[in-house]
Order: sequence, then C-alpha cells, then structure tokens
Amino acid sequence: MTDLASSGTRRTGGTAASNGRGLTGLLLVSAPVALLGWLIIYPIFNAIARTLLAPTETGTAFSTDTYVRFFSDGYALANLWLTLSVTAVCAALLLAICLPLALYLRFAKSRVAGVVQGLALFPMFVPSVILAYALIRTIGPNGGVDLVLNALGLPKINSPYLTPWGPIIGLVWDNIPLTTLMLVAGLGAVSDNAVEAARDAGARPLALLRHIILPQIGNAMLVVLSFTVLSIFSAFTLPYVLGPASPEMMGPFMQRTFSQVMDPRMAVTQAVITFAICAVFGAFYVRSIAKNREARR
Amino acid sequence: MTSHFSRRGFLATASASAAALALPRFALAADGFVNVYTGSDSNISDFWTNVILPGFKSVNPDAKVRVVDAGDGAGLRAMADRAMAALGSDADPQVDLFEAYTPDQTPGSIDAGLWVNFAEAGVENLDKVNPAARQTDFDLPYRGSQVLLAYDASKVAAEDAPKTWDEMTAWIHANPGQFIYNRPDKGGSGGNFVRRAIHEANGRDPQKFTLDNFSEGYAAETLPGAWELLNGLAPSLYEGGSYSSGNTQSIQLLAQVVVTMTPVWSDQVLQAISMGVLPENTGLVQLQDLALCGGFSRITVPTNAASRDVALQLAAYVLSEEVQSKIITELGGFPGVSWDHVDGALREKYADVIPASIPTFPGGDWDAAINDGWYRNVAPGLTRG
Repeated sequence: MTDLASSGTRRTGGTAASNGRGLTGLLLVSAPVALLGWLIIYPIFNAIARTLLAPTETGTAFSTDTYVRFFSDGYALANLWLTLSVTAVCAALLLAICLPLALYLRFAKSRVAGVVQGLALFPMFVPSVILAYALIRTIGPNGGVDLVLNALGLPKINSPYLTPWGPIIGLVWDNIPLTTLMLVAGLGAVSDNAVEAARDAGARPLALLRHIILPQIGNAMLVVLSFTVLSIFSAFTLPYVLGPASPEMMGPFMQRTFSQVMDPRMAVTQAVITFAICAVFGAFYVRSIAKNREARR
Repeated sequence: MTSHFSRRGFLATASASAAALALPRFALAADGFVNVYTGSDSNISDFWTNVILPGFKSVNPDAKVRVVDAGDGAGLRAMADRAMAALGSDADPQVDLFEAYTPDQTPGSIDAGLWVNFAEAGVENLDKVNPAARQTDFDLPYRGSQVLLAYDASKVAAEDAPKTWDEMTAWIHANPGQFIYNRPDKGGSGGNFVRRAIHEANGRDPQKFTLDNFSEGYAAETLPGAWELLNGLAPSLYEGGSYSSGNTQSIQLLAQVVVTMTPVWSDQVLQAISMGVLPENTGLVQLQDLALCGGFSRITVPTNAASRDVALQLAAYVLSEEVQSKIITELGGFPGVSWDHVDGALREKYADVIPASIPTFPGGDWDAAINDGWYRNVAPGLTRG
C-alpha cells in the first residue's frame, strides 16, 4: 500500500522553488478540494447541525433528543449491533479468504495464477442487485445448490436467504476483488530476496509468513480492514434483498426511516451515528498513510 | 513494486469508472419529451412502454413520451416536491404526468393549485370513470388491482383453499413453513395482508379507518390487536417468521415451490402465470368474509407541467375503451372506468370475478404508523428474538 499513498506528492526538486509551479499545483488540487468541501464536508456539518437543532415554536433550539431516542430505543440499537457484527464477521472472513489468495498471486509464477487472478477480480464487475438475485437462485431455498444436492440424494442446505448470513455471503463475495488487490499491493513491498534468504535459512512456510511477511504488510492489512469496514457498514442492496426483516442493517434502516416513517431528522441522526463509527476506521487509514509518508522522508 | 499486474493502472480505471457511476444523473433539460413518472413495478412500466405509448401514436403521432421509473412511492413524492417547489416560478418541474400518485401525499398541494382539476379541464372520457373509484377531481383512477391469495394447486385442492381469515389462520398453522407475506413497506401484497389483519382485529369494518381520522391515540388503540394476530401467525410462517422483501420475491418463492401460499397482487400474479413464471394451475382465492384490500392507481398531472396539454390528451387516451380493455387482458387489472365501457366480450367473460367493491385502506399518516409498527412489533418475532 506504500506507493498509493505517495503517488503524485513526491517532489523531485527540493522546495517548490519557482512560484509558477507552486501555483499550478495549488490550482490542480483546488478543484478536488472544492468538490470535497461542497459535496462532502458541507453536507456533514449540515447534517450534524440539523440533528442538533430542533425546530420549536419559537424558532430552532439546541437539542439532543434524536440521539437520546436512538440510544434508548432497543430496536434501533439491535439494528446498530447487527450492522457492527455483520461488518466484523465479513472483515474476518474477507481476511481469511483473501490473504491466502493474495499470497498465492504474489508468489506464484505459473499461468494458472493469471486465471485465478481473473476469477478473483470477476465480482468487481457484477452489480450487487444482480448478485443478490443470483444468490437467491443458487443458495436460496430450492435453488441451484439444492437441486444438485437433491440429485445426489443428499439433504437440502439450510438456506441463508432472509437470515443475516444471506447478506454476509453476498458482501464477502462482492468485496473479494478490492481486498485481494490491496493485499497483493501490500505484498509487493515484501522483497523476493528476503523471502528467499529466509527459505535458505530453513524457515518453514508458517514461520515465513509470521516473521517475514506479516510484519511487512501490517499497514496494508490495516488499510484493507478500514476499507472493507467502510463499504460493508454502509451496504444497502444486499442486506435489503437478502437479509431478514428484522434486525435491519443501518443502510436499509436509514432508508426506511427517511422514506417510510418520514422522519428525516431521525434518519439523519442514524446517518451521523453511522458516519461517526466509520470515521474511526477512516482515521486508521489516514493515520497509516501519514505514517507511511513520514517513513519515506 | 513487483506485482504481476499493473495495479495502479487498474486502480485508476476502477476508480474512474466508480466515480462516473457515482455522479448524480444530471436533470434532463426540456427536450420536448412528455415525462411520465411511475413508482410501480416493472409490469406496469412495461405496459406503458409497450401498450399505451404505441397506441397513443394514433391519437397524437408527434408526441414524444418517456416513461421514467421513480423507484417507489417515495421517489414520486420527491418528484411531486420538485413540482411543488417549481410552482409559481418559470422553472420546469420536468414531470408531466404521475402514473400512480394521490394529491394527499404532498401536503397542501391541492390548496396550492399544484394539480390539474380534471373536471374543470374537461378531460374526455372522464364521465366513464367508475363512480365508486372517484376520490377527488384532481386524480384520475385508471386501473384497479386487488390482493388475493395465490396457492400451489398441486398441493391444495380448490375446495380446501381458505375462504375466511379464520380458515386461513387454521391452514397456516396446519401447514407450518408454507406461507409467507412480504414486509408491508416493500410491496402492497404484504402491505394489504397486514391491513387485512388490522381490519380483522377491528371488527372487519373498513369504515373505521379514514384518511382524516388518524391520530396516535387512535392508532395505539386499533393496531396492537393486529400485531397480536400477526405474531400468532409468525411461528407457522416460512422459516418460523421470515418475510420476503417485495411482491416479486413472494411470487419467486411460490414459483420455486418453497412456499405453498402467499398474498399477491391480482395483476402481477396473472402476468406471472401468463409468462410461465407460475404454472397454469396456480390457484387464486379471495377471502369472502372481507376481501384483502386493493385500490385504484390514480393519474395526476401538475398544473405547471411543460407539456400539460399532451399529458391531458394521454390521460384521456388511457381512459379509452381500447386501453381499459387491455388493462384487463394484458395487465390482469381492473378497469378504472365502469365495466359498461370496456369490450362487451370481456364484460361477459369476467362477469363472475367483477368485484362488487374493493375494500381500501387509507394512506397518509396510517402508512408510517402501520409500517413502522409492524417492524417494531411483528418483524423481530417472539421466538426468533
């Protein structure tokens, strides 16, 4: 994950000696920064303000009533708790599946690796709503898997459709490509020389992983974790179609609060709480980039 | 960087395409198209695109009409809000006709003069509309639909199909895991099943619920009985209390022989049968003690629509005998006009199923109270925790 952080920021000629170049640089970043301010930063503060300022008869007044309602509402807390646990399970499963895959892709030199890589990236090109319906047809009740099992005379699977495992399976499948890509990138920092030297010294594969590889990709794993947590926490389609009616994940819950319960202030409050949790993981990512940059100086 | 593939190139492309997807779809400028917004399922938007619009060419060969899917009722509400905001200014609301919307969903919109008064505008064919379906002069009921119970006739004989709420409850308990209804906010088939439970818990009297009599106190008095009834059913439902996430998903479960019985919209199930999604012998039954609710879909036209005249022409065409007959044959719905104004042969053929009345349940504040109440009191289940 090292060079993703530094791309475009490395300076070749000391300080920006010529003012012209510095100005060009500022102009170049001004567009994305302005866009960020307009589309991201402003709505965040706007949302926080809307949840804290309640309309009263005499105008608006400071109030934390929606937060009090959220944290004293067992139903809402159950939804938040489900979202946290689904996210944790997905992140653990993703690391367990993608780390071996990434190790294979990093060190394998055969042609098969190309095929595996293609397969690993395939989910990236499948829209999640298509995936959701495909999963209903395969691992859903009386779906493809059941048909095969039935033909072999085996009992049907206990279908994950409409249980929390439905969205977990979908989300893990959906997030394999990005996770694998980032881990492979992180593994790029592990030099072949170090690995071969350890092998020559008689290190077994597990020891190699533990003492040579893992210490060097800790940062990448942290970034992977924060990325997957961010995307899974805000997932909507898969929990909506595959998940149980209750508890709901925060994405469908927010949408329902907004459009069905018609309580936009409460929906924004749920969004701010979700955002606050995601921001913690975002901070991990930013911190790891900053550390990386320090190390490069 | 000794990775096998050009990761950076890949990331760049991937992020660029992701950014393109994330861009808001910029509003279409006025381009001479008549924009018809629908929040209904795809069978309805297909009907508009494939049946109504080609036929409309014979009335107005030059009109360019575009059917836009707003997703759901909330999507239509957002469009109506936009039209409301544009009212009194020169701004084009970019919507000319709502396929199924009622003025009461946008508070104050009638008083503000947002909707065309069809009676005053002298819309052709207005006099043919079924008087029982008329609500206000600002909406035009053009198709009706009713929720029925659909069942797998290879497992349930027609004479054993439940005909009252009690028979249905008994059937569900006698056949655990074989019945499912969808979450009430995700589609009308489950929504009206839940509303039927509310009728059941309140003396089967639809008159007890009106648009205006909603109050939190009255809801707290009338709804808990229904939650009790539905919680009683839950252990015998599919997977001990699972609820599908939409009308289509319920039909899919019936088609995959996972469940034996489910509430369905009359139009959707007839279409599913004609397309072969459900087998020919799928059984349909309506409760006789009080029918499951149904309703009429109502066309509304904003007064500030850019192509208002064409929109009114289109609305009149939808009420013509040609389209109304096709609503029965192609859509499996009920006509919005009186049955005297559809093809005579059809009238004969459907004489037995023409409903004397379709009970309805008011929307407005009731929707939020019922849907959220269901999520809090029924969805978590008693056994599942």
